[in-house]
Amino acid sequence: MSNNGAYPIVTVRIQRFNPDTDKKPYLQEFQVELKPGTTVLDALHEIKAHQDGSVTFRRSCRHAICGSCAMNVNGKNELVCKAPLKERLDRKGRVTIRPLPYLPIVKDLVVDRSSFWEQYQRVKPWLVPPENIPEKEFRMSPEEVAALRNAETCIMCGACYSSCQIIALTKEYIGPHALLKAFMRVMDPRDAIPGERLADLAGGDGVYRCRTIFNCIDACPKGLNPTEAIETLRKLAQKRQAFEAARAERQKRLSEPIPSP
Amino acid sequence: MRVFQMQRISAIALLIFLTIHMIVVHYPPFHINFDIILQRMADPLWKAIDIAFLFFVLVHALAGAYVVLTDVQRFSPLKRVFAGAAIVLGVVAMYYGTVTILAFQPPA
Repeated sequence: MSNNGAYPIVTVRIQRFNPDTDKKPYLQEFQVELKPGTTVLDALHEIKAHQDGSVTFRRSCRHAICGSCAMNVNGKNELVCKAPLKERLDRKGRVTIRPLPYLPIVKDLVVDRSSFWEQYQRVKPWLVPPENIPEKEFRMSPEEVAALRNAETCIMCGACYSSCQIIALTKEYIGPHALLKAFMRVMDPRDAIPGERLADLAGGDGVYRCRTIFNCIDACPKGLNPTEAIETLRKLAQKRQAFEAARAERQKRLSEPIPSP
Repeated sequence: MRVFQMQRISAIALLIFLTIHMIVVHYPPFHINFDIILQRMADPLWKAIDIAFLFFVLVHALAGAYVVLTDVQRFSPLKRVFAGAAIVLGVVAMYYGTVTILAFQPPA
Protein backbone atom coordinates (compact mmCIF):
# COMPACT_ATOMS: atom_id res chain seq x y z
CA MET A 1 0.00 0.00 0.00
CA SER A 2 1.35 3.47 -0.77
CA ASN A 3 0.44 6.96 0.24
CA ASN A 4 -0.42 8.62 -3.10
CA GLY A 5 2.96 7.75 -4.53
CA ALA A 6 4.89 9.10 -1.57
CA TYR A 7 6.07 6.50 0.91
CA PRO A 8 4.59 3.03 1.30
CA ILE A 9 2.29 2.51 4.26
CA VAL A 10 3.02 -0.39 6.56
CA THR A 11 1.17 -1.87 9.52
CA VAL A 12 2.63 -1.81 13.00
CA ARG A 13 0.88 -4.11 15.44
CA ILE A 14 1.49 -3.20 19.04
CA GLN A 15 0.51 -5.23 22.06
CA ARG A 16 -1.55 -2.99 24.30
CA PHE A 17 -2.32 -3.57 27.94
CA ASN A 18 -3.44 -1.22 30.65
CA PRO A 19 -3.74 -3.12 33.93
CA ASP A 20 -6.30 -0.59 35.20
CA THR A 21 -8.76 -1.13 32.36
CA ASP A 22 -7.85 -4.27 30.37
CA LYS A 23 -8.40 -7.87 31.41
CA LYS A 24 -5.75 -9.20 29.04
CA PRO A 25 -3.31 -7.87 26.43
CA TYR A 26 -4.48 -7.35 22.85
CA LEU A 27 -2.91 -6.26 19.55
CA GLN A 28 -3.72 -2.87 18.08
CA GLU A 29 -2.83 -1.95 14.50
CA PHE A 30 -1.41 1.36 13.37
CA GLN A 31 -0.44 2.53 9.87
CA VAL A 32 2.85 4.37 9.40
CA GLU A 33 4.84 5.58 6.43
CA LEU A 34 7.92 3.56 5.61
CA LYS A 35 10.50 6.27 5.03
CA PRO A 36 14.11 5.42 4.20
CA GLY A 37 16.08 4.55 7.32
CA THR A 38 13.01 4.21 9.55
CA THR A 39 13.65 2.02 12.56
CA VAL A 40 11.02 0.22 14.61
CA LEU A 41 11.57 2.82 17.33
CA ASP A 42 10.95 5.63 14.81
CA ALA A 43 7.63 3.96 13.99
CA LEU A 44 6.72 3.85 17.68
CA HIS A 45 7.63 7.53 18.04
CA GLU A 46 5.52 8.37 15.01
CA ILE A 47 2.54 6.51 16.45
CA LYS A 48 2.91 8.09 19.88
CA ALA A 49 3.38 11.60 18.49
CA HIS A 50 0.69 11.62 15.81
CA GLN A 51 -1.76 8.77 16.33
CA ASP A 52 -2.10 7.64 19.93
CA GLY A 53 -0.27 9.41 22.73
CA SER A 54 -1.20 6.69 25.19
CA VAL A 55 1.11 4.10 23.59
CA THR A 56 3.72 3.49 26.25
CA PHE A 57 7.28 2.30 25.76
CA ARG A 58 10.78 2.87 27.14
CA ARG A 59 13.57 4.43 25.10
CA SER A 60 16.44 6.76 25.68
CA CYS A 61 19.65 6.98 23.67
CA ARG A 62 18.49 5.75 20.21
CA HIS A 63 22.04 4.49 19.61
CA ALA A 64 21.79 0.94 20.95
CA ILE A 65 23.86 1.74 23.99
CA CYS A 66 21.42 2.40 26.85
CA GLY A 67 19.44 -0.85 26.57
CA SER A 68 16.11 0.82 27.39
CA CYS A 69 14.24 -0.10 24.22
CA ALA A 70 14.58 -3.89 24.27
CA MET A 71 11.29 -5.34 23.05
CA ASN A 72 9.99 -8.43 21.33
CA VAL A 73 9.72 -7.83 17.59
CA ASN A 74 8.10 -10.61 15.56
CA GLY A 75 8.87 -13.04 18.38
CA LYS A 76 12.52 -12.10 18.81
CA ASN A 77 13.95 -9.89 21.54
CA GLU A 78 15.96 -6.96 20.24
CA LEU A 79 16.70 -3.27 20.57
CA VAL A 80 14.07 -1.51 18.49
CA CYS A 81 16.30 1.54 17.98
CA LYS A 82 18.65 -0.46 15.78
CA ALA A 83 16.02 -2.60 14.09
CA PRO A 84 15.28 -1.31 10.56
CA LEU A 85 11.51 -1.34 10.08
CA LYS A 86 11.78 -2.45 6.45
CA GLU A 87 13.69 -5.60 7.40
CA ARG A 88 11.19 -6.55 10.11
CA LEU A 89 8.11 -6.52 7.89
CA ASP A 90 6.47 -9.83 7.11
CA ARG A 91 5.02 -10.74 3.71
CA LYS A 92 1.86 -8.79 4.49
CA GLY A 93 3.87 -5.68 5.32
CA ARG A 94 3.30 -5.95 9.06
CA VAL A 95 5.52 -5.90 12.10
CA THR A 96 4.38 -7.08 15.54
CA ILE A 97 5.82 -5.51 18.66
CA ARG A 98 5.30 -6.99 22.10
CA PRO A 99 6.92 -6.31 25.47
CA LEU A 100 9.80 -8.49 26.67
CA PRO A 101 8.28 -11.87 27.51
CA TYR A 102 8.12 -13.57 30.95
CA LEU A 103 8.15 -10.25 32.82
CA PRO A 104 5.13 -8.55 34.40
CA ILE A 105 3.69 -5.85 32.13
CA VAL A 106 3.47 -2.38 33.66
CA LYS A 107 1.72 -0.91 30.63
CA ASP A 108 1.79 -1.66 26.88
CA LEU A 109 5.45 -2.30 26.03
CA VAL A 110 6.86 -1.43 29.45
CA VAL A 111 7.73 -4.34 31.72
CA ASP A 112 8.63 -4.56 35.39
CA ARG A 113 12.36 -5.35 35.51
CA SER A 114 12.60 -5.67 39.30
CA SER A 115 13.61 -9.34 39.23
CA PHE A 116 16.23 -8.54 36.58
CA TRP A 117 17.92 -5.95 38.79
CA GLU A 118 17.51 -7.98 41.98
CA GLN A 119 19.37 -10.88 40.42
CA TYR A 120 22.02 -8.48 39.13
CA GLN A 121 22.58 -7.14 42.65
CA ARG A 122 22.85 -10.70 43.92
CA VAL A 123 26.12 -11.41 42.09
CA LYS A 124 27.84 -8.32 43.60
CA PRO A 125 28.59 -6.84 40.18
CA TRP A 126 31.15 -4.41 41.55
CA LEU A 127 34.90 -4.91 41.75
CA VAL A 128 36.29 -5.88 45.17
CA PRO A 129 39.89 -4.64 45.06
CA PRO A 130 42.76 -6.41 46.80
CA GLU A 131 44.21 -5.02 50.05
CA ASN A 132 47.57 -4.19 48.50
CA ILE A 133 46.41 -1.71 45.88
CA PRO A 134 49.33 -0.70 43.64
CA GLU A 135 50.53 2.84 44.12
CA LYS A 136 50.40 3.69 40.44
CA GLU A 137 48.22 1.28 38.47
CA PHE A 138 47.06 -2.31 38.02
CA ARG A 139 49.05 -3.99 35.26
CA MET A 140 47.00 -6.48 33.23
CA SER A 141 48.11 -8.46 30.22
CA PRO A 142 46.28 -8.07 26.86
CA GLU A 143 45.00 -11.66 27.30
CA GLU A 144 43.47 -10.81 30.66
CA VAL A 145 41.79 -7.74 29.22
CA ALA A 146 40.54 -9.72 26.21
CA ALA A 147 38.90 -12.26 28.51
CA LEU A 148 36.75 -9.49 30.01
CA ARG A 149 35.74 -7.96 26.71
CA ASN A 150 32.89 -10.42 26.13
CA ALA A 151 31.13 -9.33 29.29
CA GLU A 152 32.23 -5.72 29.31
CA THR A 153 30.13 -4.69 26.33
CA CYS A 154 26.86 -5.88 27.89
CA ILE A 155 24.43 -2.96 28.10
CA MET A 156 21.95 -4.67 30.47
CA CYS A 157 19.04 -4.44 28.07
CA GLY A 158 17.37 -7.59 29.40
CA ALA A 159 16.95 -9.25 25.99
CA CYS A 160 18.83 -12.37 27.14
CA TYR A 161 17.11 -12.49 30.52
CA SER A 162 13.62 -12.43 29.09
CA SER A 163 14.41 -14.95 26.35
CA CYS A 164 15.71 -17.52 28.85
CA GLN A 165 13.39 -20.50 29.27
CA ILE A 166 14.50 -21.01 32.87
CA ILE A 167 13.49 -17.44 33.68
CA ALA A 168 10.11 -18.28 32.14
CA LEU A 169 9.75 -21.00 34.77
CA THR A 170 11.36 -19.36 37.78
CA LYS A 171 12.60 -15.93 38.82
CA GLU A 172 14.90 -17.58 41.36
CA TYR A 173 17.51 -18.28 38.68
CA ILE A 174 20.22 -15.64 38.59
CA GLY A 175 19.92 -15.28 34.83
CA PRO A 176 22.35 -14.91 31.92
CA HIS A 177 22.83 -11.14 32.31
CA ALA A 178 24.00 -11.35 35.92
CA LEU A 179 26.07 -14.47 35.32
CA LEU A 180 27.84 -12.69 32.48
CA LYS A 181 28.71 -9.82 34.83
CA ALA A 182 29.77 -12.30 37.49
CA PHE A 183 32.01 -13.92 34.88
CA MET A 184 33.60 -10.54 34.24
CA ARG A 185 34.37 -10.06 37.93
CA VAL A 186 35.64 -13.61 38.41
CA MET A 187 37.97 -13.31 35.42
CA ASP A 188 39.24 -9.87 36.46
CA PRO A 189 42.70 -10.32 38.03
CA ARG A 190 42.07 -7.26 40.21
CA ASP A 191 39.10 -8.87 41.95
CA ALA A 192 39.90 -10.19 45.42
CA ILE A 193 36.95 -12.53 46.03
CA PRO A 194 36.71 -14.93 43.07
CA GLY A 195 36.40 -17.92 45.41
CA GLU A 196 33.46 -16.40 47.26
CA ARG A 197 31.82 -15.49 43.98
CA LEU A 198 32.25 -18.98 42.55
CA ALA A 199 30.87 -20.54 45.73
CA ASP A 200 27.75 -18.35 45.43
CA LEU A 201 27.37 -19.05 41.72
CA ALA A 202 27.61 -22.81 42.30
CA GLY A 203 24.50 -22.65 44.53
CA GLY A 204 21.07 -23.88 43.55
CA ASP A 205 20.08 -20.78 41.56
CA GLY A 206 23.40 -20.23 39.82
CA VAL A 207 25.36 -21.63 36.92
CA TYR A 208 24.11 -25.20 37.27
CA ARG A 209 20.58 -24.09 36.52
CA CYS A 210 21.46 -23.09 32.97
CA ARG A 211 20.19 -25.73 30.55
CA THR A 212 22.30 -24.45 27.62
CA ILE A 213 19.29 -23.63 25.47
CA PHE A 214 21.31 -20.80 23.82
CA ASN A 215 18.35 -18.39 23.59
CA CYS A 216 20.45 -15.77 25.36
CA ILE A 217 23.04 -15.87 22.58
CA ASP A 218 20.37 -15.49 19.90
CA ALA A 219 18.73 -12.60 21.74
CA CYS A 220 21.81 -10.55 22.63
CA PRO A 221 21.85 -7.40 20.44
CA LYS A 222 25.56 -7.00 21.13
CA GLY A 223 26.43 -10.48 19.91
CA LEU A 224 27.71 -11.63 23.31
CA ASN A 225 27.85 -15.21 24.49
CA PRO A 226 26.47 -15.61 28.03
CA THR A 227 26.26 -19.40 27.67
CA GLU A 228 30.01 -19.66 27.12
CA ALA A 229 30.59 -17.47 30.18
CA ILE A 230 28.29 -19.69 32.26
CA GLU A 231 30.08 -22.80 31.03
CA THR A 232 33.44 -21.25 32.01
CA LEU A 233 32.07 -20.41 35.47
CA ARG A 234 30.91 -24.00 35.87
CA LYS A 235 34.39 -25.29 35.09
CA LEU A 236 35.99 -22.78 37.47
CA ALA A 237 33.49 -23.66 40.22
CA GLN A 238 34.70 -27.27 40.00
CA LYS A 239 38.28 -26.20 40.76
CA ARG A 240 37.49 -23.20 42.90
CA GLN A 241 40.29 -23.55 45.45
CA ALA A 242 43.02 -23.89 42.84
CA PHE A 243 41.63 -20.86 41.00
CA GLU A 244 41.52 -18.86 44.22
CA ALA A 245 45.15 -19.74 44.99
CA ALA A 246 46.21 -18.76 41.47
CA ARG A 247 44.41 -15.44 41.84
CA ALA A 248 46.13 -14.69 45.16
CA GLU A 249 49.46 -15.43 43.50
CA ARG A 250 48.58 -13.19 40.54
CA GLN A 251 47.61 -10.31 42.79
CA LYS A 252 51.07 -10.21 44.30
CA ARG A 253 52.36 -9.15 40.86
CA LEU A 254 49.60 -6.72 39.91
CA SER A 255 51.86 -3.68 39.98
CA GLU A 256 54.71 -5.35 38.10
CA PRO A 257 55.21 -4.79 34.38
CA ILE A 258 53.79 -7.52 32.14
CA PRO A 259 56.62 -9.54 30.61
CA SER A 260 56.65 -9.28 26.82
CA PRO A 261 56.03 -12.59 25.01
CA MET B 1 26.29 -28.88 41.66
CA ARG B 2 25.95 -32.51 42.79
CA VAL B 3 22.90 -33.16 40.63
CA PHE B 4 24.68 -31.54 37.68
CA GLN B 5 27.72 -33.75 38.19
CA MET B 6 25.57 -36.87 38.55
CA GLN B 7 23.78 -35.96 35.35
CA ARG B 8 27.00 -35.43 33.38
CA ILE B 9 28.83 -38.50 34.69
CA SER B 10 25.83 -40.78 34.14
CA ALA B 11 25.40 -39.29 30.64
CA ILE B 12 28.97 -40.29 29.72
CA ALA B 13 28.45 -43.76 31.19
CA LEU B 14 25.17 -44.12 29.27
CA LEU B 15 26.88 -43.23 26.02
CA ILE B 16 29.16 -46.22 26.52
CA PHE B 17 26.47 -48.59 27.82
CA LEU B 18 23.93 -47.61 25.17
CA THR B 19 26.47 -48.14 22.42
CA ILE B 20 27.21 -51.63 23.76
CA HIS B 21 23.50 -52.30 24.19
CA MET B 22 22.59 -51.22 20.66
CA ILE B 23 25.40 -53.26 19.11
CA VAL B 24 24.91 -56.40 21.20
CA VAL B 25 21.13 -56.49 21.49
CA HIS B 26 19.67 -54.70 18.48
CA TYR B 27 22.23 -54.63 15.67
CA PRO B 28 24.70 -57.46 16.29
CA PRO B 29 27.23 -58.00 13.53
CA PHE B 30 26.61 -61.74 13.91
CA HIS B 31 23.63 -64.08 13.78
CA ILE B 32 21.64 -63.91 17.01
CA ASN B 33 19.07 -66.34 18.34
CA PHE B 34 17.35 -67.06 21.63
CA ASP B 35 20.04 -69.51 22.77
CA ILE B 36 22.69 -66.81 22.53
CA ILE B 37 20.51 -64.44 24.53
CA LEU B 38 19.97 -67.07 27.22
CA GLN B 39 23.70 -67.72 27.45
CA ARG B 40 24.45 -64.03 27.72
CA MET B 41 21.83 -63.38 30.38
CA ALA B 42 23.29 -66.18 32.48
CA ASP B 43 26.86 -64.88 32.17
CA PRO B 44 27.98 -63.14 35.44
CA LEU B 45 29.90 -60.50 33.46
CA TRP B 46 26.79 -59.57 31.48
CA LYS B 47 24.76 -59.56 34.69
CA ALA B 48 27.24 -57.05 36.12
CA ILE B 49 27.04 -54.96 32.94
CA ASP B 50 23.23 -55.00 33.04
CA ILE B 51 23.17 -53.96 36.70
CA ALA B 52 25.60 -51.09 36.02
CA PHE B 53 23.49 -50.06 33.00
CA LEU B 54 20.37 -50.06 35.16
CA PHE B 55 22.15 -47.97 37.81
CA PHE B 56 23.22 -45.26 35.36
CA VAL B 57 19.82 -45.19 33.65
CA LEU B 58 18.13 -44.65 37.00
CA VAL B 59 20.58 -41.96 38.11
CA HIS B 60 20.24 -40.09 34.81
CA ALA B 61 16.46 -40.37 34.57
CA LEU B 62 15.70 -39.48 38.17
CA ALA B 63 18.21 -36.62 38.29
CA GLY B 64 16.72 -35.31 35.03
CA ALA B 65 13.17 -35.54 36.34
CA TYR B 66 14.22 -33.80 39.58
CA VAL B 67 15.90 -30.98 37.67
CA VAL B 68 12.94 -30.47 35.31
CA LEU B 69 10.45 -30.36 38.18
CA THR B 70 12.50 -28.05 40.37
CA ASP B 71 12.97 -25.61 37.49
CA VAL B 72 9.36 -24.61 38.05
CA GLN B 73 9.19 -21.91 40.71
CA ARG B 74 5.93 -23.06 42.25
CA PHE B 75 7.49 -26.46 42.95
CA SER B 76 10.59 -25.05 44.65
CA PRO B 77 9.20 -25.51 48.22
CA LEU B 78 8.91 -29.22 47.35
CA LYS B 79 12.59 -29.68 46.47
CA ARG B 80 13.29 -31.98 49.42
CA VAL B 81 10.14 -33.98 48.74
CA PHE B 82 11.20 -34.51 45.11
CA ALA B 83 14.73 -35.43 46.15
CA GLY B 84 13.39 -37.92 48.72
CA ALA B 85 10.92 -39.40 46.24
CA ALA B 86 13.66 -39.76 43.60
CA ILE B 87 15.95 -41.54 46.06
CA VAL B 88 13.22 -43.92 47.27
CA LEU B 89 12.08 -44.65 43.72
CA GLY B 90 15.68 -45.17 42.63
CA VAL B 91 16.48 -47.57 45.47
CA VAL B 92 13.29 -49.61 44.94
CA ALA B 93 13.79 -49.82 41.16
CA MET B 94 17.47 -50.68 41.59
CA TYR B 95 16.68 -53.41 44.10
CA TYR B 96 13.89 -54.89 41.98
CA GLY B 97 15.97 -54.75 38.79
CA THR B 98 19.06 -56.24 40.43
CA VAL B 99 17.09 -59.10 41.96
CA THR B 100 15.48 -59.84 38.59
CA ILE B 101 18.84 -59.83 36.77
CA LEU B 102 20.57 -62.00 39.38
CA ALA B 103 17.68 -64.43 39.68
CA PHE B 104 17.80 -65.34 35.99
CA GLN B 105 18.81 -68.92 35.36
CA PRO B 106 18.88 -70.49 31.91
CA PRO B 107 16.53 -73.44 31.51
CA ALA B 108 18.35 -76.72 32.00
